[in-house]
Amino acid sequence: MNLRARACVSALLLFGLRVCFSQDIKLQEDDEDVMFKTPEEDVRVQVSGRALVPGVRAQDWISSARVLLDGDKHVGFLSLPVPQHQISPASFCRDDGSFTVSDVPSGSYVLEISSPTYRFQPVRVDITTTGKMRARVVNYIKTSEVIRLPYPLQMRCVGLHSYFIPRETWGWSDFLMNPMVLMMVLPLLIILLLPKVFNPSDPEMRREMEQSMNMLNSNQELPDVSELMTKFFSPPKSQGKAAGGGGARGPRGGAPSPRAGASRRKMRD
Amino acid sequence: MPGWLFGSLTAEHCGSCSSAAMAWLVVRLAISVSLLYTASAVFEDQVGKFDWRQQFIGKVRFALFDTQSQASKKLLVATDKNVFASLNSRTGDLFWRHVDKTGPEGHIDTLLMYGQDAVVVVGNGRLLRSWETTVGGLKWETVLDTGSFQAAALVGVQDHVKYVAVLKKSSISLHDLSSGSQIWVENLPDSDTVQYQTIYSGGNGLVFVLGVVPNSHIVIVEYKIEDGEIMNKKSVEAAWMSSLETSCTIISSGILLCADQITQSLYTLPLQSAEQTEMRQIHLQTLDLEVASGFQPVLTSTQPNPAQPPLSEFFLQLSPDHHILLQLKDNLIAPLRDFNPSYLAAFATSGERTVAAVMSPKNDTACSINLFSADTGRRHLDTTIIYHMDPNGGKPNRLYVHAFLKKDDSVGYRVMVQTEDLTLTFLQQPGRVVWMREEALADVVTMEMVDLPFTGTQAELEGEFGKKADGLLPMVLKRLSSQFILLQAWLAHLWKLFYDARKPRSSVKNEITIDTLSRDEFNLQKMMVMVTASGKLFGIDSKSGTILWKQYLENIQPNSVFKLIVQRTTAHFPHPPQCTLLIKDKDTGLGSLYVFNPIFGKKSQIGVPALPRPILQTLLLPVIDQDYAKVLLLIDDQYKVTAFPSTKNVLQQLQDTASSIFFYLVDSSQGKLSGFRLRKDLSTELIWEVVIPAEVQKIVAVKGKRANEHVHSQGRVMGDRSVLYKYLNPNLLAVITESTDTHQERSFVGIFLIDGVTGRIVHEAVQRKARGPVHFVHSENWVVYVYWNSKFRRNEFSVLELFEGAELYNSTVFSSLDRPHPPQVLQQSYIFPAPISTLEATLTEKGITSRHLLVGLPSGNILSLPKMFLDPRRPEVVSEQSREENLIPYAPEMPIREEWFINYNQTVSRVRGIYTAPSGLESTCLVVAYGLDIYQTRVFPSKQFDVLKDDYDYVLISSVLFGLFFATMISKRLAEVKLLNRAWR
Repeated sequence: MNLRARACVSALLLFGLRVCFSQDIKLQEDDEDVMFKTPEEDVRVQVSGRALVPGVRAQDWISSARVLLDGDKHVGFLSLPVPQHQISPASFCRDDGSFTVSDVPSGSYVLEISSPTYRFQPVRVDITTTGKMRARVVNYIKTSEVIRLPYPLQMRCVGLHSYFIPRETWGWSDFLMNPMVLMMVLPLLIILLLPKVFNPSDPEMRREMEQSMNMLNSNQELPDVSELMTKFFSPPKSQGKAAGGGGARGPRGGAPSPRAGASRRKMRD
Repeated sequence: MPGWLFGSLTAEHCGSCSSAAMAWLVVRLAISVSLLYTASAVFEDQVGKFDWRQQFIGKVRFALFDTQSQASKKLLVATDKNVFASLNSRTGDLFWRHVDKTGPEGHIDTLLMYGQDAVVVVGNGRLLRSWETTVGGLKWETVLDTGSFQAAALVGVQDHVKYVAVLKKSSISLHDLSSGSQIWVENLPDSDTVQYQTIYSGGNGLVFVLGVVPNSHIVIVEYKIEDGEIMNKKSVEAAWMSSLETSCTIISSGILLCADQITQSLYTLPLQSAEQTEMRQIHLQTLDLEVASGFQPVLTSTQPNPAQPPLSEFFLQLSPDHHILLQLKDNLIAPLRDFNPSYLAAFATSGERTVAAVMSPKNDTACSINLFSADTGRRHLDTTIIYHMDPNGGKPNRLYVHAFLKKDDSVGYRVMVQTEDLTLTFLQQPGRVVWMREEALADVVTMEMVDLPFTGTQAELEGEFGKKADGLLPMVLKRLSSQFILLQAWLAHLWKLFYDARKPRSSVKNEITIDTLSRDEFNLQKMMVMVTASGKLFGIDSKSGTILWKQYLENIQPNSVFKLIVQRTTAHFPHPPQCTLLIKDKDTGLGSLYVFNPIFGKKSQIGVPALPRPILQTLLLPVIDQDYAKVLLLIDDQYKVTAFPSTKNVLQQLQDTASSIFFYLVDSSQGKLSGFRLRKDLSTELIWEVVIPAEVQKIVAVKGKRANEHVHSQGRVMGDRSVLYKYLNPNLLAVITESTDTHQERSFVGIFLIDGVTGRIVHEAVQRKARGPVHFVHSENWVVYVYWNSKFRRNEFSVLELFEGAELYNSTVFSSLDRPHPPQVLQQSYIFPAPISTLEATLTEKGITSRHLLVGLPSGNILSLPKMFLDPRRPEVVSEQSREENLIPYAPEMPIREEWFINYNQTVSRVRGIYTAPSGLESTCLVVAYGLDIYQTRVFPSKQFDVLKDDYDYVLISSVLFGLFFATMISKRLAEVKLLNRAWR
């Protein structure tokens, strides 16, 4: 008992060591992350971009959408297209679904557009302490990997959310491919087709088949269920006889009847 | 035995990228294959069948009616929950809603509206936003300079509003209303001594900024709109004044009007006149008025059009229930009408007509609201609205008036009344409630689900078993009569079904009232008892979301902590169910108990113990008194125990069982966890103490297991047919700590598993370079926790599972005192590719159904994550045995599939808590997610294995059955014919 506890502790120690190693390795890769650290001075920047849902007017979807940075640490809203006559030279020109998230301190954030209907790919935005910005593909496994994306951000809808799974509908193909149905249909086919393929009246074939049957029977080492049952229920005196009869005929019981039927049909023809 | 950390795995990844990619692919494949039978998703036809959502906004701080057109239904509101929304004033539904970030950074400072545009100042004057109000889109957003926000006003030039002016502590800026661009920004003179508080513009090309040096003088600065040039600056003596905002207003063509309680007088000063250098004092005595002692008089004026000066009429509130309408005319103040008593008064304008609505008490339960013309003070005929106050609610405290012109050119109006308990009631003449919103529900603190009671017949049947036997014959008779009652009820039910079937579907409406409430077949419908931060309690029907009762508890401190305890469920007929709410003041720790019936919301008549000392801990014991109420123990700061109920019977039982009653206390400021044992005389003795040094790490959360949780299987069957027994310690506490050092290289999150009886630390783990907020679930033999990995900037899930090993030490009973072997601990961590708001696990009646974790995401979705993915035995390399066990191969990243969002597009804003409750069906778990919104649904973690599916094809089954039946009939007939024919041959 004590041994197990010790094993557990040592395993835990090992486990701890392993973690330490992995972190040591990691440290070297991270040189470029240094520039995102220690927000000494308070730089506050605007993250801006544009979200687009092809074929849908901005009015129809933006009121339920938000721009989220790292959950809801920072929130931005999507803006409407400004009618042409209202654009004054002083204001910078805005288009459908453009957004700005104001007042963001330096750091690295995952920006996502949350809309109950439309799906967007999240983007990682890095802001240095000097206020420089870049956008890259989100990769949670290799976090230091940089695949740049254009900035200001261009968020394009990648489709609708698929919240629902379709109901299983009933179709003939499903029905026929059902294992139960297959199990029923295949023997039926065999029963109907086999006699047509081999001619059972051919004496050579019959001999061959009987031989193979005998081989099968002789190979059987498992106790036969019907045999056991008859042994169990039959009165002890006629045990031997009944067992012999049951055992020999049991497995063959199913086979001869269709053959007989077929041969009878043949004869009628 | 130990778990894997993916830190090591990712390191390998980088080394051999191609092979890792291949392995990744295989893993993905394996996951998708395994998903085929674990997916539990919503079908599209189930939408709205058993789920509902209610959206809330919070306490209204600003509300503006769209008065641009008569037909407009818009009502714009900004609330203390940093929500800006547009309501349909006919129905009370939301047109749109924008939820900003929480905290002061998203705080809405003011709301101004002009035409289709609404201008909002956010985050203590940090952002200026303009919204298009019909579709709810942002028009523009500008960042303002730093400085604390004071006031904002729309500025008009020649009857057109073109600008918005924002006053900060030390600067004023003017912005263009259509684009948001800054026209000019000016520093305020002497801003270090003068407190600038008010801004005013009367549409004459000037902006006035008013500041005050408390108890000294007022400063008035005039700015030119075009370029921000200071036109004039003057200071006026006002030694009595401490604040402009609370005591002053501006009326008729730019006259500053102030009221002072100490000198009992009003003061006026024209802003623009150069000659008048001191304020003119008007004693209230000359008007036969007097301000109630200790009451700061409130002045209310109205400026219907920002491009024009305000009206010369104003309200003066002299005491909490006394308003007076006054008019300034030719430098004289004349009372127009005295409203005594009156609770609330408000102005409203429609077209050129301005009216005043005044709410005055009618009788004990109702108020009447009347309309008066503002310029004369005459009452409009037939404009009374009767407002019935809810006897279980609070007093009205805000009145918003929507005035409109009727066809015959008279003024009609509707009012929105907000009460202390945050109920919004929208009324129209003559007192019809158009809609009602319970905004207290935007801040649910805690909740419980209580089973509904039986109906009369069900109770009758139950009663038969409960009572003592009184002879054979009466028992038989009783049985017969109850069977007869059942038959009767069944027939009535059938008749109702038949009757309803004939009626069109729309007219069949099952009105749910408190009287018709009864338990359904599978106990799927329950009563949700919700406690809100404002101190209002709600009883909500879980099936429809209808509020069945509500109770406002007055005198609740705003920062109280609530704990809701179900002492007696509905199972003990004829005793009514009983809930106890412990209300604890956060500052003093003093608590009080409120006992009520959760089904009807009525306060119970049971005597409640007085709690003179701060309460540290509560404990609900399985011990029940003679009335089947569970005993609640309250431990105060002197470690004295109060029992509730404390009858003789209970005290006797407590004495008998005292030696086996243990409890723990947490002192997070000193980092101390201590365990106590109850003595026979209800005093306590300290038996263990664990100190977690508070300088290094602080305890953030301690959680035990849920008391109503059942664990069905004692162990897990492994691939080699052996059993790995679970370590099921009901006394286990999970303690989460966070480091005090927040530097990202040195911060860590710690987890301790401590036995609550012995104080033994069963396991401890540290997650380095991690920080909170930590969300965690402690259940069965596992703890799942989420933390933020500050190094890789991602959320990570970690799961700890405890096992006894291949054999149980004492399989009959678990005792914390007799556990010689420490459990085996397995741990594994995963990346979760999304932020997290809250975490909870599903719960079912018997614990047979597989567990899912419910993860609330900031986007408002609730993810149902199979616990299968959080299994520390997930192998890195797939083997025959792990496949046999159905273990999913380890993958560092947790999948998020949209099919797992149980609330599809019904997102829950700011989800703060998820409550799970078992239902009568083993497959079904009831889920309530609350935050700003409330969402109720059912989840089926292992699909609905105990009921027929809703899409069960009755037609197909019956047609197949009938088909087979007829086929046999026909074939039998055919066979007979054939036999006969053969016999003849």
